Amino acid sequence: MHIHQLVARLAWGDAIGNQVRYLQSLLRSWGHTSEIYADAWDDACREQVRSAKSYPRESTRDSVLLVHHSFESRLVPLIARSRGRKLLVYHNITPARLFEGFDRGAALACDAARRELLALRPHVDGAFAYSRFSAEELVAAGYRHVDVLPFAIDWNAFDTPPDPALREELDDGFANILFVGRAVPSKYVDDVLRVFTAYQRLYQPKSRLLIAGNIHRDAPYGGFLHGLKDLLGPEHIRFMGRVSAAQLSACFASATAYLSMSRHEGFGVPLLEAMYRDVPVVAYGAAAVPETMGGAGVTSFSRDPLDVAQLLAVLEREPALRQQVLTAQRDRVAGLSQQAVAARLRTALQGFIEGRMPEQTGVPAAPPVELVCPGFITRPDAPMSRLARELQQRLPESRLLALRARGEEPTLSLGPQATEGAPVWHFTPDQPVGPTPEPLPGSSSLETAVRASTGTVVLLGTDTAVAQSLMQAVGRRGWGVRDAAASSDETATEAARQHLGPRLLELDRADIHATADALVRSLASKKRGHRHAR
Amino acid sequence: MHAEDLLTLKPTAQAVAAATERLPEPTTAVRDTLRRTLAASLRAPVAGQWPALLLEARAKADVRYVEPATSHRPLVGPVLVFAKRTFRGAFQPFINEVLRRQVHFNEAILDALTVVIENQREHARTQALWRRELEARMKRLEKDDPSASGH
Repeated sequence: MHIHQLVARLAWGDAIGNQVRYLQSLLRSWGHTSEIYADAWDDACREQVRSAKSYPRESTRDSVLLVHHSFESRLVPLIARSRGRKLLVYHNITPARLFEGFDRGAALACDAARRELLALRPHVDGAFAYSRFSAEELVAAGYRHVDVLPFAIDWNAFDTPPDPALREELDDGFANILFVGRAVPSKYVDDVLRVFTAYQRLYQPKSRLLIAGNIHRDAPYGGFLHGLKDLLGPEHIRFMGRVSAAQLSACFASATAYLSMSRHEGFGVPLLEAMYRDVPVVAYGAAAVPETMGGAGVTSFSRDPLDVAQLLAVLEREPALRQQVLTAQRDRVAGLSQQAVAARLRTALQGFIEGRMPEQTGVPAAPPVELVCPGFITRPDAPMSRLARELQQRLPESRLLALRARGEEPTLSLGPQATEGAPVWHFTPDQPVGPTPEPLPGSSSLETAVRASTGTVVLLGTDTAVAQSLMQAVGRRGWGVRDAAASSDETATEAARQHLGPRLLELDRADIHATADALVRSLASKKRGHRHAR
Repeated sequence: MHAEDLLTLKPTAQAVAAATERLPEPTTAVRDTLRRTLAASLRAPVAGQWPALLLEARAKADVRYVEPATSHRPLVGPVLVFAKRTFRGAFQPFINEVLRRQVHFNEAILDALTVVIENQREHARTQALWRRELEARMKRLEKDDPSASGH
């Protein structure tokens, strides 16, 4: 059988590129014909790839195309006109807000990629994701056949012997804290620097931070990191840039702990790589990180540098506890053995080929009104949650969307679940929800559900990250309610005024019923207006 | 660190939280100084607007389309406008193809200029923060050592 893969860019050494190459080798070993098609590629990959433009010509009715999606590709028209069956492999897309202020181009591309995710839906027969976190977004986007695929990792690639010179240099009695990854804003390398500063000042002066990954000093974020290093003033920070496989092995071999403060991971291969190489992992529990960790390592829901520094100190000072962490990590990696994952992958692919993919019944039909109240579950007594309850009673045909509580795992069944006496659709937040004064985090799946819907959207709390992200996307079908007493962000208020104009209402905390009445009246008059216009 | 802020099965979150309690307690002065430094390093949100300097260039980046055809001539004007519109309508696909690379170049150069401007802005901001932090540290040092301020 012909099972090919399509990727926007085939890169050398990144997680998606490695995954695509490994999948190709697996498919070929199972007797399938398998090629990699890409729109662009690194020079080092030239021999491994064919131009995406040739796929529509080369595809046949029997071929299967695995479409890897993680960034803007501009390949939707090409996919639409290609023959054969198509299967989306969703790696997740970094929320645009994580690039704002640093990289406008990347922010725009991430937004475009999310629009492409919706545009791809009619052209693919099924969709796989590497985590339930990502699969939840696919269900929210309206994909009917969604399944979670185990991430196939070529563990042998991590067995490269360490570079002896670098290892000797790093094994000098210092506690080495390691982070591996490109220095992009979503990885929050700045928080890694802050945590390390706290660790070095409070617990271990003889410590070193190793950051292995490309840093563009000329890019705003790279410049910011170098400035931050001077500002915080810790010693022994090494920006190693891009490293070879042997140098990376040396970094892992001499590391006391692996630290990740990333705010977005669709899966998180370096976390498992650290586990495989017997380095205890401390990670901030954002996006799919808790799922990737699977209870091993130490996941922190706090991003306070002083809290996370304590975890690094504990792992260094308490050998028994460290040993327990390492044992749990080995068990986690053993559960993802190459043979077991390959077998599960083969079964999942076979299921798709034979038309046996699970069907999601929880995909909601487009309701006439979407009530977006991110804090409804986590902050039930907040004025906006009370307003949401009022509106839900007055508009029974509406759908109420809210963020899941901290620690609740993502599921493919989004709702409705009865919460606080109202049917609510639950969505996983991109970062853990903090205590009350902290702003609520965004949620890629909730935002995608609203973008996929055609109903009127009521944003309850225009200061929230969810509302800020949706305002422009929903255009004239968007309404908003602003709580002036809780609103301190001038930029957010200005954006709400600009995008919503007369459709922005003020919350009257003393009389929530009056605000609900005013909103319902406005929505009804708009509906009548539409009818007359017809 | 509180157990409810942790997710770990083996060791349990309670065991890890208890281990953090056993760590030596840093002095209040050290902790406060660190908190101040960390607070100073927090990045204020930057508006996601295009740099004002590039707004005009951005509006002119797409050179494939020009303003609507007009003519100031009283009688032949409408004929000229019609002729211009017809010409453009017929040849627009060819114009697009000829100018496609120019538009790509314009977009790329605008992106590069944006990066340069944002980078400069970032450096200036970091420098200002650094200077402010150094001044605060100097003031604290002078406060701790009154003899220094007498000189």
